[in-house]
Amino acid sequence: MLDLLAPIAQAGGGVTDDGLKAIALGIGAGLGSIGAGVGLGLLFASVIESVTRQPEMREEITSIQWLGFALIEAVAFYTFIFGLIAFFL
Amino acid sequence: MSVKRLLLIGFGIYIGGAVLLLALFGSEGENEEFQPQEEFRLEPWIEINIGGLDLSINRAVFYLFLACALTCGVMVYIARRMQQKPNKVQTAVETLYNLTYNTITRGNMSEQMSKKWFPFVATLFFFIWISNLIGYLPLPTNTHEKVNVFGVELPSFAIYAATANLSIPLVLTLVVWFSYQVEGVRAKGFVPYVKSWIPSGTPKAMRPFLLIIEIISQTVRIISLSVRLFANILAGHLLILFMGGGLGVILGVAALGWITFPLALVFFIFEVVLVATLQAFIFATLTSIYFGEATSAEGH
Repeated sequence: MLDLLAPIAQAGGGVTDDGLKAIALGIGAGLGSIGAGVGLGLLFASVIESVTRQPEMREEITSIQWLGFALIEAVAFYTFIFGLIAFFL
Repeated sequence: MSVKRLLLIGFGIYIGGAVLLLALFGSEGENEEFQPQEEFRLEPWIEINIGGLDLSINRAVFYLFLACALTCGVMVYIARRMQQKPNKVQTAVETLYNLTYNTITRGNMSEQMSKKWFPFVATLFFFIWISNLIGYLPLPTNTHEKVNVFGVELPSFAIYAATANLSIPLVLTLVVWFSYQVEGVRAKGFVPYVKSWIPSGTPKAMRPFLLIIEIISQTVRIISLSVRLFANILAGHLLILFMGGGLGVILGVAALGWITFPLALVFFIFEVVLVATLQAFIFATLTSIYFGEATSAEGH
């Protein structure tokens, strides 16, 4: 199946530098969101479950929740920055 | 007019506008002139070159000065006007004081360290918070694209955050990193401090291996702390730029600018309300966690 891709690439002008850079940025920024999505889902799932079990702990858990949210979100941004580095450097 | 009616009218205007723009203007082909990097370009306003280093005053330096002036000015003003029965502004500042002192500083550091380092952590929090927030206020700072008003060339309005440049978070991170390493060595002595990086209870064979990993982890903290703040603010500004019409300009399709505009509003509100404050909170909390970890009496 891979040998079908070569004529298609040739017809479109070949594999250019710009195309590879675009792929690098897309993969960097796109794949990174998988980790952030899973992490945020797990975080808020555990927050909901623990607040359901012990409603009186809500405020303490909320402050830990925001800390966790920002740290997990930051990982997606790391991959975005790596993609930008691949695109521009 | 019921809510359902209003929603239907709003939705109709949204779809109708998109179709109208598509029919009237269609696609003008790709636009090579608009370069998103230009939005973050720093033109020197006053050239200062000392010993080969470019220290000129530019847009980012102006925003830095503005953030410093605002932080110091607001806090000193409120401190001078403290009353027994607090008004609303004083209550807000007291809430913030409680947040920075109890939640951030005392929650993570010992009492003695808290007293010593609380002003630093609180200043970090307020400075980064104000620096992030003024980045969303349009100020006339874009000297690259000037606007002609009654024959006078004025710089056009632009939004730009000082923290959207890697340098400023990096400097703050380096100050924090060197400070907590020095505090850790001062509290424990050099070799016991490095040994405290290895979790207690690891078998002797694993220790050198874990030490190497911990050294790497400590060093990567510089990158992670600075890039976290930098990338959050930069990504926010880029999203607002692209959704607020950048995508439509680059691809030359006017309807695309209309379609993505509500997203730009959503991102703008999200960034201003949540990300600006949260990133300042995270930076201050991680700073105090690092300090607390470096000077804690017990092991890991």
